[in-house]
Amino acid sequence: MLEVENLTKFYGDLLAVNDLSFKIDEGEFGTLLGPSGCGKSTTLRTIAGLVEPTEGGIYLRGDDVTGQPPNERNIGLVFQDSATFPHMTVEENIEYGLKMNGFGPDEREEQITKYLDLVQISDYRDHRPTELSGGQERRVSIARALAYEPDILLLDEPLTGLDRVLRQDLRNEIKQIQREVEVTTLYVTHDQEEALSMSDKILVLNDGEKQQEGSPTEIYDDPSNRFVANFVGKSTRLPGTVASHDPPRIDTKVGRVPTDAASLDSFDVGEDVAVFLRPEDLSLDPDASEEALQGTVTNVEYLGTYSEALIDIGEGIQAVLHTSTSANIAMGDEVALTFDPSNVIVLEA
Amino acid sequence: MIVEGIPLPKFVERNVSSRSLAAFGLGFLTVFYIVPILFLYWNSLNFGDGGLFSNYARAFSDIYLVTLARSFYYGVLTTVVTLALGYVLAYYIAFRSAREKLLLGLVVLPLWIAYVIRYLGIQLLLFPSSPLVQLLGTDFGILFSTRGVILGLTTVFLPFAILPIYHALKSIDEDLVDASRVLGATQLRTVRSVILPLSLSGVVAGGIIVFILATGSFLAPAMLGGPNDTMIANIIEQSYSQTFDLGLASSLAVIYTTILLVLLMVFNSYVNLGEVLGEL
Repeated sequence: MLEVENLTKFYGDLLAVNDLSFKIDEGEFGTLLGPSGCGKSTTLRTIAGLVEPTEGGIYLRGDDVTGQPPNERNIGLVFQDSATFPHMTVEENIEYGLKMNGFGPDEREEQITKYLDLVQISDYRDHRPTELSGGQERRVSIARALAYEPDILLLDEPLTGLDRVLRQDLRNEIKQIQREVEVTTLYVTHDQEEALSMSDKILVLNDGEKQQEGSPTEIYDDPSNRFVANFVGKSTRLPGTVASHDPPRIDTKVGRVPTDAASLDSFDVGEDVAVFLRPEDLSLDPDASEEALQGTVTNVEYLGTYSEALIDIGEGIQAVLHTSTSANIAMGDEVALTFDPSNVIVLEA
Repeated sequence: MIVEGIPLPKFVERNVSSRSLAAFGLGFLTVFYIVPILFLYWNSLNFGDGGLFSNYARAFSDIYLVTLARSFYYGVLTTVVTLALGYVLAYYIAFRSAREKLLLGLVVLPLWIAYVIRYLGIQLLLFPSSPLVQLLGTDFGILFSTRGVILGLTTVFLPFAILPIYHALKSIDEDLVDASRVLGATQLRTVRSVILPLSLSGVVAGGIIVFILATGSFLAPAMLGGPNDTMIANIIEQSYSQTFDLGLASSLAVIYTTILLVLLMVFNSYVNLGEVLGEL
C-alpha cells in the first residue's frame, strides 16, 4: 500500500532522514516512534508531499508519487494542532476536502453526516472550530482527513497537548475508527505507550535512522539495540561482560547474572554487553537466593493497579520493579530481586 | 510611584499622578484637535444675511458636488489598485522571498521622502523632455490626467497597504496552507479559499487607511492631475487661501468629513470592523 524506499532528507547540512525504507500493508496501522528530532515528522511530511525528499522514493498503491504535489496524492493528514480552518464551520471544514476531491452535493452531505457521527461531533456541525475544545477540534480534523476516503491516513502526533485522560480516550477511539473504516494508517508519535497500544507495526527511529521494525511485542520483548530497549519501556540497565556460555552467565558490577543460552549466542566470553531487565519481569525474593540482586528501596509509587518501586542495587544502579500493590514494601526496606533467566535481554554494549 | 523601579525626586512624585499625565494628553488633543473642529463647525455657519446655512447651500452646488463625488471615486479607484498591487507584493514578501527584511525595508524607505518630491520625480519622469518619454515616444497619457493622479496616489500609499497585509499573511498558520493542499486544493485554490479570507483583516485595515488618505489628498491632483481632476481638498484649500471664503471652506470640510464617516459606518455594518481588525 505505502512504500518508502531509501528516503533521505537533508535540511542544508543537517541530515534529518537517513536512507529509510519501510512498507505499510493495506489496512495496517503503522507507527513511526522516536524522540523529537528523529526524523519521524519529516518522513510523514515527505509522504504527504509537503517536504521534498533529497533522495529516495514514495510509492502509494504501487505508483511512484515522489514528484507529485500534495493535492494529487489522495492522502488524509491529521496535524499536531488540528489545523482546522478558523474561518469555516465544522461542516465547511469537512466539506472542503470533499469538494476538492470531486464529491457531488448529495455525496458530500452523506459523507459529512457519516463522519461527524463517527467522531461523535454531530452536535457541533455549525460551530466554528474556535468555539470547540482541544479534543473536539482534533475530532473535526480526523473527520476532515477521513471524509473523502483517502488511500492512507497520516497522523502527526495528533494527541499532543491534550490532558492524559482525553489522550487515552482519543487513542482508543482513533484505533476503533481505524478498524471500522479499515484505512491504512501511519501514525507518528514520541509516546511509546501510544505506539505500543495502537500499532500493528512499529518503526523505531533515532537520528533519522531506522532502529527496529516489528510488532509491539517484538519491539518491547526483543529490542534489537540499546536505543530501542532504552526508549521503549522502562528497565533496569546493567552493563556487564559475558562470563561463560555454559552455564550462561554475565558478570555485572552488582554480581553475576544468569541468562539463557540463546541470548549469548552472538557474544564471546569476555565481550562487553548491556543487560536489560523489564520491571514486570523482576519479582521480590523473600528467600534472598544467592543470585538475587540485593538493594534498598528508595521510592515506591502507587499507580492503582500496580506499584512501581525504585531500588538502589549499588554501584549507582537503580532497579525498577513493578509489583502488585498488595506487596508490602516501603522506602528503606532491604529487598532481594529475582527474575526468570529467559526474560533477560542481552544487547551489544 | 509612577514607574515601578525608577526612583523619582519627591516633588515630582508628589505632583505627577496618573491623573495629571492623562490630563496632559487629553488637554493636548482638546486644544489642537477638538477645539479646531468645533471652530470649523462654527465657521461653516453663517450669522449674517442669507440664513444660518447659506454656506451649505453654496457648497451643495453642482460644481462642488461633482468634485466631492470625484474625490470619493478617486479614493475608491486608488484603494482598489493599491490593494491589488499591495496584496501581490505583500504575498511575495511574506511567502516567496528569501530576503523579507530587506524588502520590507525597501517598502518603508519611500516614506522618508516627502510626497512633493516623489510627485515631482514622477512629473520629471513623464515630462515630454524626459529620456523615457523620448525613448517610448509617449507618456501613455498619464501626466496631468486622472491616470497620473491614481498612479501618484498608488505609489505613495502602497506601503500603507503592504504593511498590514504582510502582517496578516505572516500570522496565518502554515499548517492551514499545508492542510488545504493535502485536502486536494491546488495552490491557486488555496490562495482563494484559505489565504485570502484569513488575511482579510490586513486588506480591510490597509484599504481603510488608503481610502481615507487618498480621498482627502491634495498634492497628487495639484501636481499630477489635469484641470478636470481637482479633488475636494484642492477646492477647500482654494476657497480659504485664494478667495478667503472661510464659510465655504468650512462647510465643504464638514460635508466631506460627514460623508467619509457615514461611508465608514455603512462599511462597518457589512464588515464588522471591530471583529475583523481585532484579529490584527
